[in-house]
Amino acid sequence: MPTYQLTINSNKVTVEADPDTPLLWILRDHLGLTGTKYSCGVGICGSCTVHYNGNAVRACSFPIANVEEGEILTIEGISEKNSTALRAAWKALDVPQCGYCHSGQIMSATALLAKNPKPSKAEINTAMSGNICRCGTYSRIQRAIELAANNLDG
Amino acid sequence: MKKELDRRTFIKLTGTASGALLVGTHIWSCKDEKLPAEQYEFSPLIKIDSEGWITLIAKNPEIGQGIKTSLPMILAEELGADWNKVKVEQADFDEKYEEQWAGGSFAIILNWDLMRTAAAKARQVLIEVASKRLNKPINELIARNSRIEHPQSGEGIPFAELLQEASKLSAPEEVEFKSVDSYEIIGKKTPQVDMDELLNGKAIFGLDVQVPDMCYATVLKNPVHNGGVGKFDGAAARSVSGVLDVVELNNQEYGGRLIGPNSPNFVNGIAVIANNTWAAFKAAKLLNVKWDNSTSRRENTEQIFQRFHQQLADTTIERSDGNTERAIRNATTTFEAIYELPFLAHVPMEPMNCTVDFRTDHCEVWAPTQNPKALEEGLIRLFKLSPEQITIHLPRIGGAFGRRYYVDYAMDAAILSKKMGRPVKLCWTREEDIKHDWYRPASVHKMVAGLDGEGKVTAWKHVLANASRKTSLGREGNPAGTEIDEYEFPAGFVPNLQLEYGHVLSDVPLGQWRAVGHSATAFSALCFLDELAVLNQADPIAYFLDFLGEPRMVPVVDDYEYDASRLIAVVEKVRDNSNWGSSLPKGWGRGFAASKHSGSFVAEVVTVAVDTNEKIRVVSVDAVVDCGIVVNPSGAAAQVEGGILEGLCAALYGEITIKDGVSEQSNFNDYRWMRMEESPEIKVEFIANELPPRGLGEPPLPPAAPALANAIFAATGRRIRKLPINKPALP
Ligand code: FES
Ligand code: FES
Repeated sequence: MPTYQLTINSNKVTVEADPDTPLLWILRDHLGLTGTKYSCGVGICGSCTVHYNGNAVRACSFPIANVEEGEILTIEGISEKNSTALRAAWKALDVPQCGYCHSGQIMSATALLAKNPKPSKAEINTAMSGNICRCGTYSRIQRAIELAANNLDG
Repeated sequence: MKKELDRRTFIKLTGTASGALLVGTHIWSCKDEKLPAEQYEFSPLIKIDSEGWITLIAKNPEIGQGIKTSLPMILAEELGADWNKVKVEQADFDEKYEEQWAGGSFAIILNWDLMRTAAAKARQVLIEVASKRLNKPINELIARNSRIEHPQSGEGIPFAELLQEASKLSAPEEVEFKSVDSYEIIGKKTPQVDMDELLNGKAIFGLDVQVPDMCYATVLKNPVHNGGVGKFDGAAARSVSGVLDVVELNNQEYGGRLIGPNSPNFVNGIAVIANNTWAAFKAAKLLNVKWDNSTSRRENTEQIFQRFHQQLADTTIERSDGNTERAIRNATTTFEAIYELPFLAHVPMEPMNCTVDFRTDHCEVWAPTQNPKALEEGLIRLFKLSPEQITIHLPRIGGAFGRRYYVDYAMDAAILSKKMGRPVKLCWTREEDIKHDWYRPASVHKMVAGLDGEGKVTAWKHVLANASRKTSLGREGNPAGTEIDEYEFPAGFVPNLQLEYGHVLSDVPLGQWRAVGHSATAFSALCFLDELAVLNQADPIAYFLDFLGEPRMVPVVDDYEYDASRLIAVVEKVRDNSNWGSSLPKGWGRGFAASKHSGSFVAEVVTVAVDTNEKIRVVSVDAVVDCGIVVNPSGAAAQVEGGILEGLCAALYGEITIKDGVSEQSNFNDYRWMRMEESPEIKVEFIANELPPRGLGEPPLPPAAPALANAIFAATGRRIRKLPINKPALP
């Protein structure tokens, strides 16, 4: 079985896995990083969102063989100012219900603010449209992103 | 005032708290853990240590309804605890906790007195000790901020300093609850106790459980409903690297399709066990199976609905007030409409999973379940275990909505762990989740009304035909398992009322969905009332209020009545909040619906915009709720927002269709859920009162779909009598 060198949350790790193994299962089963969630497995719900070189990607549809040189960040590893502001806003508005989708929601929102520090409502909707929340926390997520953006601005 | 007979000394010294600090989930970590603190247990639910930290046990499964926060809030309130020095620990399943399940919006209803009694006892003992110490009469002392205080003199003693002496006292004979107007924790917006862990990926959901030496598994179930096992060739699956075993799951070897009233057994299929989830998923796709489907009816949706329609003519009367047939014959006007509702799936975000470590004499389970009791019963039945041989841990759950009331997936995992002789984490794929759900029953409703010369309803008939979830789940003693019960609205409001049920047998697996049967009956009744209003050229809210009549106690059945004024109040309030009647842009419309469920009253106004391409956009929803005392306004509003969104999603898109015995949908591409850009603004207001708190998980859902359908009528003049709305196009 081939081995792969990865940089995850600034740590260098080596894993042995089949080339088609999605990054999601490398994180969860091989490395015990269970913050990244499985829900649809086919790239349409956003629960498994991680950052790959700063871009939000769906880990369930990202085979390890395609993870070349690059930095992977997961919910356990993000700590820059955008994610801090977003978490504070999430807490202030008591956003999660079951909470299962929110690792992915926060990863998508962090990637959004990195590219667009002052997103409009429409831009928030577009950036977040790949993340399903079954419990119905959408309007709180929208408000939390706006709140975080405002706080970062001020 | 509640009589309490137990006079034993009820406070136990449980050892040092530093040990306790290592288990469970902490909201605030104790910074100063150098000195081991002594910890006293006041009840299984309350522990206080000599450093002032209070540990409260969250006993019910947390499925996203916020119960892990709200039940401890009730304890903390009644105890007089400082919420900032409270730690919350999730309990395992244990008989001693009573009522340890999630479903039917019952958790707060059933635990309100239980929580308050446990905490009031502890508070009273602490007050008793403080009274002696301060030399003040008991009735002048109060508990606040984890102290017993004497407001007149300003003196006080922290709980921590009273523990040792308190532990020598016996439980108070009677408890007196705090008055509602002195509440400081209940009624305050409080973020979930697991908030930090939810935001940094550390919260442990069922699927995140890790046990040493565990392996991973998935299943491929016979896609045909009520199908048998098959002949399979597992060679290709076994050749996938990492695969450990391929195992047949045959429920005939374990009690058959059902394992008790309301308890479906696991579904026939094949499991793959591997070193990691991905290997199991990949191998399951390579299974070559020839299923034995001789037991299945191989149904199709069209055919099922045809049978429902036919069955409308052959029913049992479930309730009859006055003489409905005669009143309809004598009515000035009669009106009739038929509504059709589809099968619906639950699709919780976290797919079905369970981790089991089944050793020869003990079975340890980490189960995302709403119903740990059913899980225990299932293990006892399937494996002839005694309760002492079973440990059930309750991790957080990524949504349940009724799906996790059934423990079929946990039975899968137990069988596999027993077979492997080591811990197994079973994870179903999303596809298996959707194809092997216990669906909300589809149904057909024939509504008939008789009206007098003034347009007032004098007779009401609701005839429901479907395949019953009760029969599907083998509920004992009620073979035809009616899906319309005698409590159904508008029982008590119309002099001549008849409720009828026509039962059809089917293989489609059926179960509880949010608000259970009310999700369908309320749609029919509340759309029908809107139609009657329009027929009478009346304003729908005015017509509805007229229909309810005077504020009074409404006798629903012999031993049950409710206060119509509470329903009237939420309706009037939502009318005002939504600017009902004010003008809207062209193509827009407002719709209204209101109902009572689980003791709570909810009224909703939905505003929609329908563009020239018939694309429907839900613009906003106004909701007014009377659920009695609101324990946590933040979590409560979340339940209302979630229930409304679920009702709207299902009405717009939700549908499971069956072809040749197989559910056709399989993932979020064909079982659609609303995305952020589609989600409306939802404004929620609670009626403030001091009545005991009632259910909130379900009550906001039933009015959402009829309010939406009524809004579409207001916008377009077209009536929705069949759900989902968006398929294929507007009628
Ligand atoms: S699990 Fe990856 S997008 Fe759904
Ligand atoms: S909070 Fe439950 S899925 Fe989003």
